[in-house]
Formats: sequence, C-alpha cells, structure tokens
Amino acid sequence: MTSPHFDFVKDFFNTNGCTITEESPSHMNIQLTNAMDEEIMNRPFYWHYMKKMNRQGEPMQLTFTENTDEPGIYLHAGTPKLHTIYETAMKKGKLTRLYEAVDEPQANGALTPWLVVNALLHYRGKQTKDEPVSVGLQLLHGTFVPRMMERISNYAFNMTVSDYTFPMTPIIQLKSAYKRIEGYVENHTSSQNHNWARDSHQQLEQEEQLLQSFYESGDMSEDQFNKEHEQLFKRYRPRIEMEVVNGGLFYLSQQTSQEMLTS
Amino acid sequence: MFDIHPDETFIQKLSDSLDHPEELSSWESFKLAYQASSFQTIPRFDGLLALEHLPHVDFLDHQVDAANKVVHEMNGRAILADEVGLGKTLEAGLILKEYMIRGVAKKVLILTPASLVNQWVQELNEKFYIQAASPRKKQASWKDWEVTVTSIDMAKRESHREEILSIPYDMVIIDEAHKLKNHQTKNYQFVQSLQKTYCLLLTATPIQNKLSDLFNLVSILKPGYLGNLTDFKKKYRYHKDDTKGVEHIHSLVGQLMIRNRRKDTGLNESKRHVVNERLAFTEKESEWYNQLTALKSDHNSFAWLTLEKEICSSREACFMSLKEMAKKMDESKAQKYISLMEQLEQLPHHTKAKRMVELIQQSDEKFIVFTEYRATQFYLQWYLQQHGISSVPFSGKFNKSKRDWMKQLFKNKAQVMVATEAGGEGINLQFCHQMINYDLPWNPMRLEQRIGRIHRFGQEKDIRVYNFAIEGTIEDHIMNMLYEKIEMFKKAVGDLDDILEKIPGGSFDQQLQSILKESDSRGEIDIKLNNLVSYVEYTVNEGRELS
Repeated sequence: MTSPHFDFVKDFFNTNGCTITEESPSHMNIQLTNAMDEEIMNRPFYWHYMKKMNRQGEPMQLTFTENTDEPGIYLHAGTPKLHTIYETAMKKGKLTRLYEAVDEPQANGALTPWLVVNALLHYRGKQTKDEPVSVGLQLLHGTFVPRMMERISNYAFNMTVSDYTFPMTPIIQLKSAYKRIEGYVENHTSSQNHNWARDSHQQLEQEEQLLQSFYESGDMSEDQFNKEHEQLFKRYRPRIEMEVVNGGLFYLSQQTSQEMLTS
Repeated sequence: MFDIHPDETFIQKLSDSLDHPEELSSWESFKLAYQASSFQTIPRFDGLLALEHLPHVDFLDHQVDAANKVVHEMNGRAILADEVGLGKTLEAGLILKEYMIRGVAKKVLILTPASLVNQWVQELNEKFYIQAASPRKKQASWKDWEVTVTSIDMAKRESHREEILSIPYDMVIIDEAHKLKNHQTKNYQFVQSLQKTYCLLLTATPIQNKLSDLFNLVSILKPGYLGNLTDFKKKYRYHKDDTKGVEHIHSLVGQLMIRNRRKDTGLNESKRHVVNERLAFTEKESEWYNQLTALKSDHNSFAWLTLEKEICSSREACFMSLKEMAKKMDESKAQKYISLMEQLEQLPHHTKAKRMVELIQQSDEKFIVFTEYRATQFYLQWYLQQHGISSVPFSGKFNKSKRDWMKQLFKNKAQVMVATEAGGEGINLQFCHQMINYDLPWNPMRLEQRIGRIHRFGQEKDIRVYNFAIEGTIEDHIMNMLYEKIEMFKKAVGDLDDILEKIPGGSFDQQLQSILKESDSRGEIDIKLNNLVSYVEYTVNEGRELS
C-alpha cells in the first residue's frame, strides 16, 4: 500500500477495533464492528430494527482497493466513503487530555501541562484557501511553540498517568491560554503576505461602486440593493475564519518539555 | 485589512469534557483526526482541487478551463453558454464541486426544467459524488437539504416560495437559463429575489432574439454591469453598425460569460457523417402526387405546403388532413377529395419507409428516426414491426417518467426509436449512433438540436445522419435551399448559431414562420427564402471580413 489514504484508512480501522481480514498490495478487506457499522454505513433503519428486536445484527465488511480494476471501494482523494471516515475520525478525536508515557521516570516525575490546539485558518474573500496551524502553549510560563503536532507526534501518550509521575497544575487558566493562542494566530497572520486581502478589497470596492451607481440611477429597489450589497460582502470581504480541528491538555515530562523548546 | 473570526466554542467544550473523561479521545484517535483534517485542507488559492477528487471523469480541456476561469477570474458568477452538447452540465458540476471542497458552498439550489431534474440528481451523484435531493409533491424540506434540484415551477409555488426565498443559498445554478430572458416574467423575478452568493446560468443560446435577452441574464449576475436597460438599448441601437460599440459590449460580457464552440474543441465535424438522400416517388406515388398538385389552387399556400409535406411523409399523415378538409367543403368538391383519399389508401408502402427499413436491416445498430407527424410515427412503428424490427415511440410531450422509461427500453430492448420531436432539452441518447431524419424541419437549427441528442460530449463513436427528401417536392427544396446552403456557410464560418439568432427583425425561426404564413404563392416563398438565405450569407461574409 503506497497511498497515504490507504495507510490512513488502515490506521483508522485498527484504532477503532475493526479487523483487517485480508490484505494484499492493492486491496484490503475489513470486518466492521457493530459500532463502526452504525457510524459509517448509513443504515439507521437496520440498526434501529435490530435493537428493537433485541437481535445482534450483522456488521458489514468493506473492501478497499487501490485501483479501479478490482471490486471494492476505490480509494482516492474524493472517495465518498473516505470522506465519511474523515468526518468520523474528526468527531472521535476532537478533545483530549493525555499524559506522556514514561517507562522509567527521571529523578523528577513532574509532568508539565501544555495546551495544544490544532486549527485551520480559512482564508475567505475573492479566493479561498486554508492554512493549518498547530500551537502548543506551556501552561506554567506561557511559552509558545509552533508546529506542535509535528514535534510531539513521535512521543507516546496515555489517557492515564504513568507510574511514578504526576501532573502539575496549570498556572495559566484554559480560557486565558486560549485567548493567548488567538493573539498568537493574529500576530502570525498579520506577518504574512496580504495580497489576497488587498485583491479582495479592490474587487469589493469596484463592485460596490458599480452597484451604488446603478442604485442611484433608480433602476433598482432598495430591498434588492441591500440584498446584492450583502452578497458582495459575502463574496469578497477578506477575513480569516479560525476553526479548531482538535485540541487538549498534554502533560509532558520535564525532558520532553525541554525538547519542545529547543528543537 | 481583514478580520479574524475566532472559534468561540472550542475552549468551553474542552473545559466541559475534562470533567467527563469518557468524552475524551485517545492519542491515536487524536492523531487520526489531525490527519483527517490535513487531508481536507485546501493548500492554495488557485487550481482546481475537484479534479483530484473525480479521477473517474475525463474532463475535456475546455471544461477544465471554463471551471478554472469561473472560479478564479469571474469569482463564481457566470453564464455558461457553450454550444449544445459541449458539456455545460459537467462544467457547472465541476465548479460546484470545487466550491464545496473549498468549503464555501454548502447550501445549494439547482433549478432546471422538470424533465431534467432526475438527470441532474443522477449526474451529481455518479459523476460528482454530490448527494442531491429533489422534492416530491408534498415532501420538501428546503431548510434541511443541502443540495436541492427542482424546477422553477415547483420552487415558485405558493407553498414553497416564501421558504425558499428565506434561505441564504451559497450557490444557485439555473439550467436552460434562456427562459429567463424577459425580466417582466414571474420566473425572472423569482430568480432575482433568491438569496445567492455564487450563481451559474446555463444556456446554449444566451441571445435568442434580442440583445436585451443577454442584458437580462447579466443583470441577474451583476446588476448595473451593462448600465440600465434603456441606455443599453439606446447605445446598442446607435452602435449597431459601429462595430466598436458592439465589440465593447462583447468584451464586457466576455468577463462573465463562457462560450465554447464545437469548432474550438476536440469535437469536430469530421466525426459526424451527414448523408442527404434524395428519394424518388414510385410511379404510383407520383401519379397520386400529380393529382394532388392539380388541386393546388383550392388552397392557400400554407395549407398546400402542409399537404405536400405530409404526403412526403406518409399516406397516413396526409389522409388526416384531407379528411378534415373534405368535411368543410360542399359535396361536389368533397367528392374529388374523397376519391383522392380512396386512391391514397391503395398506394403501396411509402418510398421513404422502405428506404428506412432497408438502412436499418443493413445494420444491427440502433437507430433514432425523427418525423414531424404523429400519424407517420404510428405508421412507421407498425411498418417496422411488420419487418420484425422492434421500436419504441418518443415524444416531447411524454411526461418525465414515460420518457425515462422509453429511453431505457430503447437502450436495453429496442433497435429503433421513432420520435416526433427532440423533446427539446436534455434527453441523452449517446448509446445510439445512427439517425434518420425521416422528414425535415424548416429550421436547420432544429435539426441541429436533434443531432445533439446523439452527437454530444462523451460520444466516442462517429455518428451517421441520414436526411430524407423526396425529389421534386417541397422537401427537395428545403434541402437545397436551406440545408445545403446553410451547411456551406457553416463550413465557412464554423458556427452559425449567433448569426441565426441575431438577425434583425426576429430570429431565423421566426422569419421562416412568417414567410410560410404570409406568402401567397410558392414563388413568393422562394423569393423570400432566397432573400433570407442571402442575408445570412451576407452576415457570414461580413463576419469573416471583420475577423
């Protein structure tokens, strides 16, 4: 399996307790669990009926392929099932509190609290794009670390505290920490190239003028003018909508915390 | 310079969940969510991401270019005015998909003629992975449906209208938008009052008769862009002979209209073989035809033309008219007609019908046969059946489900479809590669529409079109005068659409109708037709000198 979609799908089902019953370089067969079937197969009536009849129900099997010749679901960027899986994955992985897994604690078993926020910045205006940001904020001193997910992705975390370690209480409250992250994002975006916003402004102004003069010539009702005007704003007003993908409290060992700041 | 809208809900949710550990996710799930979001991230302003999402559709260059231009240069409000069969629907779907992927089109309304609703829903699903809903009689949840396909007539009904107008749609697509050319109609006003951010208008004929048609379409997209209607008309009238003025308007409109022509795209004339077949009446048929001709002076030219065209089509078609005529005559005169009808019944099978069967029998391919007359349609079906050839009927008047059914039958079971009219818009018969125009419509553009049913984008095979005409009759005349000449001009300029659409004093079609109705003799018709054709020729040559 070479495609990133394939690896992702495989991880997804493994993580969610489904079994891969068959696998070849170009296809894999997955036995869903009941819960996963309910989640992604979109057959609510079946499951409703099964539950009502007090029956077990039979979860389906899915076959994914990497080419169009084989029977099964052909995986590519647009595969509808893949998008259902994205939605499910994002729903299941939204909020967390994790403790670094420590086998042999150092002299000091204290774990430092961090707020980690992964967000998409949706650039909106004449044209559109997203910029992903991942920020870590150390909740004792307020230090920022950019590209946080990248840095922590190879460490192991658990949902419970490892033996001989203990989490320290944050000094910075979550709400104010999040405010700081918003401020960080603001700083970050204003340091970027603004051509996109300027273009959008220009276009907006130009079309506003056109509309205004047409309205003044008396060929348009006030109601229609207002509607059109609002639409121009929707289409062209440059703005960035921040959408948090996921985030949570991460407790890092002293050593790891240090590495975050230096790497 | 720009505002930032923070995510207001996240941190509260996180705080709440920390007290409910069962809501929290594992490290693996957290990483998967992050990965899922990065797969869906839009990395750049330009380009069409939709193409990667739709590897199973072979978009043609001009379709991709069109989508690119609409999204990145025209900012999502445009008229898609490709010629028939070049894939406007695909372009619109691609644009819609792009906006959906980019996250700016969630609430979408698509308005099409009722007969095309199913086809749109199906294409959106199969080609674009877009799930669309269409309302049935009583069930319509406009607010819940993200993508809705329906007809204007349904949408503007009292029970739906207010609700639809209250919804802020991110995108509105209107198919066959030339129906909105008149700004005083209810349909136009309805569309104008829709709340829409992005908007696509699809039409193969942006100018049907008058330049003001185009003005009205543009006004839906960009009110004021061409000034107000009065000034626009004035300006155009003054500049009609001044090419600069017209060019100015064209360049303005070019900013929000895409018009691909067949000749500019991969689909060229070489894949279409047109055979004009001149058939001779048999001796018996000729005799009868001469008898009929002897009675020519009984009729005004229009009624006579009708009879003549009918006998060129079938005994049955002519019989019905004669019968009606005889009813209204005094007895002595009617007697002549009755005996004529009796002889008509004795005539052998029609020359054209025989030729049709011959062609079909030589091949095991599917054929679509077009006739102008219902009586002929019945006759041909019966005649085909006598030769063991299966056929289905088709008419533009069939309701939607009947059309779909007939198309399905034709595709899977029958060898021949006998159709009375192209059914106008939409029916797609690409699986058929042979067409017989059993009799010819006056307007060559109508013929073009018929051919468009089988010769459209996605058609991979060459197609063959047979045009039948009976020698020495009015049909021969139509073929000589209109078809062959116009075909010749077409070779010279490639595309006659807009010339035929823009003739001062009404479209080509309207001119034809009035010539036929208002002339007193065949001679007059000839002269007027000649004038019309010369006028087209003149316009063509003028166009060539300019370009």
